[in-house]
Amino acid sequence: MTETQISIQNLNVTYNGNHALKNISVEIPKKQITAIIGPSGCGKSTMLKCMNRLIDMTDNVTFSGKIIIDNEDVFDKKTDIINIRKKLGLLAQKPTPLPMSIYENVAFGPRIHGVKKKLVLDETVQKCLAITGLWEEVKDRLNSPASQLSIGQQQRLCLARGLAVEPEIILCDEPTSALDPVSSQHIEQQLLKLRKDYTIVIVTHNIHQAMRLADYVIHLYLGELVEHGPANDVFENPKEERTRAYINGTMFSDLKIDKEVDLKGNICPYNFVLAKQALHELSKGKVLKLVVDDPLAVTEVPRGMEADGHKVMSVKQINKTDWEVVIQKKE
Amino acid sequence: MEFRRIEESIFKALMILSLVFVIGSLLFVVGVILWRGLPVLSFDMITKTGEGGYLLGKGGGILNAIVGSLYLAAGGTILAFFLSIAIAFYLQKEYSGGTRLSGLTRLSLDILWGTPSIVYGAFGYIVLIYFHIRASLLGGIIVLALLEIPIMTRAMEEVLKMVPGDLKETAYSLGATRFETTLKVVGKQALPGLLTGVLMAFGRGIGDAASILFTAGYTDRIPGTLFDATASLPIAIFSQLSTPLPQVQQKAYASAVILLVIVLVISIITRLLAKKYTRFIIK
Repeated sequence: MTETQISIQNLNVTYNGNHALKNISVEIPKKQITAIIGPSGCGKSTMLKCMNRLIDMTDNVTFSGKIIIDNEDVFDKKTDIINIRKKLGLLAQKPTPLPMSIYENVAFGPRIHGVKKKLVLDETVQKCLAITGLWEEVKDRLNSPASQLSIGQQQRLCLARGLAVEPEIILCDEPTSALDPVSSQHIEQQLLKLRKDYTIVIVTHNIHQAMRLADYVIHLYLGELVEHGPANDVFENPKEERTRAYINGTMFSDLKIDKEVDLKGNICPYNFVLAKQALHELSKGKVLKLVVDDPLAVTEVPRGMEADGHKVMSVKQINKTDWEVVIQKKE
Repeated sequence: MEFRRIEESIFKALMILSLVFVIGSLLFVVGVILWRGLPVLSFDMITKTGEGGYLLGKGGGILNAIVGSLYLAAGGTILAFFLSIAIAFYLQKEYSGGTRLSGLTRLSLDILWGTPSIVYGAFGYIVLIYFHIRASLLGGIIVLALLEIPIMTRAMEEVLKMVPGDLKETAYSLGATRFETTLKVVGKQALPGLLTGVLMAFGRGIGDAASILFTAGYTDRIPGTLFDATASLPIAIFSQLSTPLPQVQQKAYASAVILLVIVLVISIITRLLAKKYTRFIIK
């Protein structure tokens, strides 16, 4: 296993009496991409905000535990927050250019940390914009307002601005959720390139993105740490049922369904027979979606299908009475 | 369905009516002043100070009042600016933490805003007497600053409140301190709005007569030091209108034209400045 960059120990966060993070202990490896996955409102962003202490900006919040970065506890009163934040770059959900020119946006960080020489600043700005692939696009209009850039360019500018502070860690809070697919891809590629020099922590509810990027995965659900481990292990062979359900649920929700059969009102074993018939009509590898309302069918149909060698991709409750079963015909 | 359409047109009509009323009043006031003031306005009026007995129909102009008013309003606005910007920044959540003190500060400002300016004048007068100081430019500037602070502070605070939290978080995440964030990010984003606040307060300051009636005095000379008494346009207008002589009364309208022009020019300059800084603002 590689070195640990951030060590989180017994982290507890409470907002307005609402327990947002429950006793989280996890270690984030150095110079890898760690994805924090989980549904909305499960405490992913809160965890990031704890790392750079932006949680201080929130009202009515209490936190306890330890977050150790380079032998310093982020929550310790003696720790210099400015220094911690300098180590942790942040890429927010929505691009947030500062109200100044493109050049000044990137130079903002170095300037407040004491870089005064124009030459050094020029060099930093060019270097950081080049890393994010923005230099060629903006080199002729460095002095125009950052708000004039397209939203995808703005996000890359934000990344460049973060890099200019020379952080060790980059925190990304759903960095592509406001972007179009092409810009998202751009950002993802940049993150992959940056992996060799930086520790990257990315919060995402896009499981595909996590699969494309992550080396290490942390799965949170309702403030609890469900599972964590190397990406391959978690995605291929999750230990926890909840992780499996989450991965399947989100993964196959946009899967191409070849045939859909409504089996509501049929009781066992007729629904099973009808399902087999429907599957029989499909060619190999095609996907069949069944909707059933018999509680017995929810367990028995998938079990029977698996016994026949077909692959059950997901079983999901869609409303009070109905369940959705997605099956792929065996090859 | 029909009822909703009628409702819609009634409210539209009401809106147009109030718009006509507001613009109409402005045009009417400006029209009357220009109509009566322009024929009397002469080059002498704006280049000469009052000669002895100006109010009795003798020669001279009101340069003393023009310069006096500019001194008073500019001084008051500058003084008020430094205090107001500090209060407005303090009232932000990161500094005051939304405590009871900030609530009390807001309440005080609102009460001060509603206080008639003659009360400021009387208060300033008592203080001047207490310290054995004569009515002077300094006295006028201080009272005007007091008058302007509530207006400026509340306007600035509203603007600062509008600055998105994301921007502050971004600055903090880059390692900026609270002060750097306030000055370099929040201040920049809010700049056009802050300028508008300053302009509002300046307009109120230059047009106010009651507060400087006792505190700034009146004289035919242009003040040389902060401790000299000074004339001002609002009081010049008041005194000229109060004379029984029609030719002096008419000059009051000419003075009002000058006051209008000053306010207009300052507005335009502020707007141009604000526009220049709006370029970088994040919407």
